[in-house]
Amino acid sequence: MRTTIRQARRATVQLAPAVALAFFSILFITVMIITLVGTIAVVAAGLLPETVLLIRRMAGWKRSRVAAWTGREIPEAYLPLRGTLLERIRAALWDACTYADLRWMFAHYLYGFFGLLAIPLWPLGLVVDGLWCGLLRRDAVVLPLLGRLADRDARWSTALLKPPPKALLAERVTVLTETRASAIAAHSAELRRIERDLHDGTQAQLVSLSMRIGLAKRVFDRDPDAARKLLDEAQDQAQAALAELRHVVRGIHPPILTDRGLVGAVRSLAASSGLEVAVEFEGLPDDGPRAPAAVEAAAYFAVAEALTNAAKYSGTDQAEVRLTRLANGLRVRVRDDGRGGAADPATVTDAAERENAGTSSTGGGSGLLGIRRRVAALDGSFSLTSPVGGPTVIEVELPCVW
Amino acid sequence: MRVVIAEDNALLREGLVLLLTASGHEVVATARAEPEILPALLTHRPDVAVLDVRMPPSFRDEGLRAALAARAQIPDLPVLVLSQYVEQSYASELLGGGAKGVGYLLKDRIGRVDEFLDALERVTSGGTALDPEVVTELMTRRRGTPLDTLTAREREVLHLMAEGRDNTTIAQTLVITERSVSKHIGNVFLKLSLPPTDNGHRRVLAVLAYLNGGR
Repeated sequence: MRTTIRQARRATVQLAPAVALAFFSILFITVMIITLVGTIAVVAAGLLPETVLLIRRMAGWKRSRVAAWTGREIPEAYLPLRGTLLERIRAALWDACTYADLRWMFAHYLYGFFGLLAIPLWPLGLVVDGLWCGLLRRDAVVLPLLGRLADRDARWSTALLKPPPKALLAERVTVLTETRASAIAAHSAELRRIERDLHDGTQAQLVSLSMRIGLAKRVFDRDPDAARKLLDEAQDQAQAALAELRHVVRGIHPPILTDRGLVGAVRSLAASSGLEVAVEFEGLPDDGPRAPAAVEAAAYFAVAEALTNAAKYSGTDQAEVRLTRLANGLRVRVRDDGRGGAADPATVTDAAERENAGTSSTGGGSGLLGIRRRVAALDGSFSLTSPVGGPTVIEVELPCVW
Repeated sequence: MRVVIAEDNALLREGLVLLLTASGHEVVATARAEPEILPALLTHRPDVAVLDVRMPPSFRDEGLRAALAARAQIPDLPVLVLSQYVEQSYASELLGGGAKGVGYLLKDRIGRVDEFLDALERVTSGGTALDPEVVTELMTRRRGTPLDTLTAREREVLHLMAEGRDNTTIAQTLVITERSVSKHIGNVFLKLSLPPTDNGHRRVLAVLAYLNGGR
């Protein structure tokens, strides 16, 4: 009995570390599994954006192939993958259009192989259509099936690759955010410019005016002639300040726009342009409802700039202005039959634009750049076509409700 | 002379009244808003009306419209229209149809008291007073026309003629004799192939018609 107990005790002593070891083994294996899963997850997460880009490239290739067959473009609406890894992963996971691409890929896994049908169709077609069409002079039957096959593939792909409404909406939000930001930037740049004009121009002139009057007062009794001369200068200064002020005001909001509305203001522009301008208004009665002030101003400045450029560079004295009221906006079209070759500021001075985004200058192409910015701020579209040899056409569309 | 003033800005209105009274004219009525203008003109039948373009209630071009309406009811009522800014198309409207006794000036010009009073008198006696800025605009937009053949002096003379000045004033302004003014004017009319006219209202209209329309 004693021996048995001793034996058992020895065994227990032997077993206890084994249990402890087992416990540690479990812990170790658990940690190892966690590490493994974690590593895979991290690697997978790191690869995710790249994978998504690969998917997009494949879908994009398919889109361009389908577009080449049908002649109709399939739009894309991807969220851009930018920023840190985390932001890229989030964008990749949120992108509805990528999910649509994935859906297409799975579907294409099945219907993509329809293309293989071409292999048996070719010899069959050559034999059958060779007899049917070549010998019996009937319409071909088998070979046109290849075209039908491609049509079917294109139709399914179009349906599957179309971005879901959610993605289109997301893209719209992105565009609006960007244009809104640039509108605010343009607006504050404009305010800074006005502030600078008033401070450096008008205010400085008024200070110097006041100074001259003060001096004239001092010498008035002693030397009336000198006082008179100083007062003359003071008056010149006052006139200059007034002229400057008028100029600044005109740049903020042309007064004639307030007085006469867009139609009257554009007529006046046409009359004073120095060109023979044919002006046409569609759906814009003289005293009809007026577009929002910002839209009117943008349209006015666009016409003014286009006519100035036409007068300066086109080499013709004929131009045509057409303003059309659309269901949801306003279209401005200015055309001249001059020598053409005008450069679109967006393509030429893209870098320069970013450099001096704070300072809106005027004159030449930079004037057009100002118009483009004004139009973009209102979510409008701007297009300039000017092949060498003319005609030059500037078209601006401004969305608005009125 | 008896004057009616239509100006909504109290500072400018009082200034004009002061200026005109001090120079021996009589301000018979002042209008502060568009609805007051026509009754004032019809009641007082002044020698000349001085009107601001922008007036209450809507601050657009009430003064201009009132001027045209008043002239429809009181033919040849001399009107001097003042504005914060000049618009060449407004000048055309005012001077349309060979109107007599019309002035269109920037408010800035009031500061040059003598010139302003001179313009007012010219308008009252059926002449024209057109702001130099309008004339400059009219002259610069005509490129590639016989205007290019004028000498610098002839351009100056044409400019002053278009503003509505007579030979004496032109001679004084340019510091030349009246004889040479007449010579320059003759050359201008020849180069622009305009029929020669007398030293009066018809001449101004011919010059303006040329600058405004004919190429």
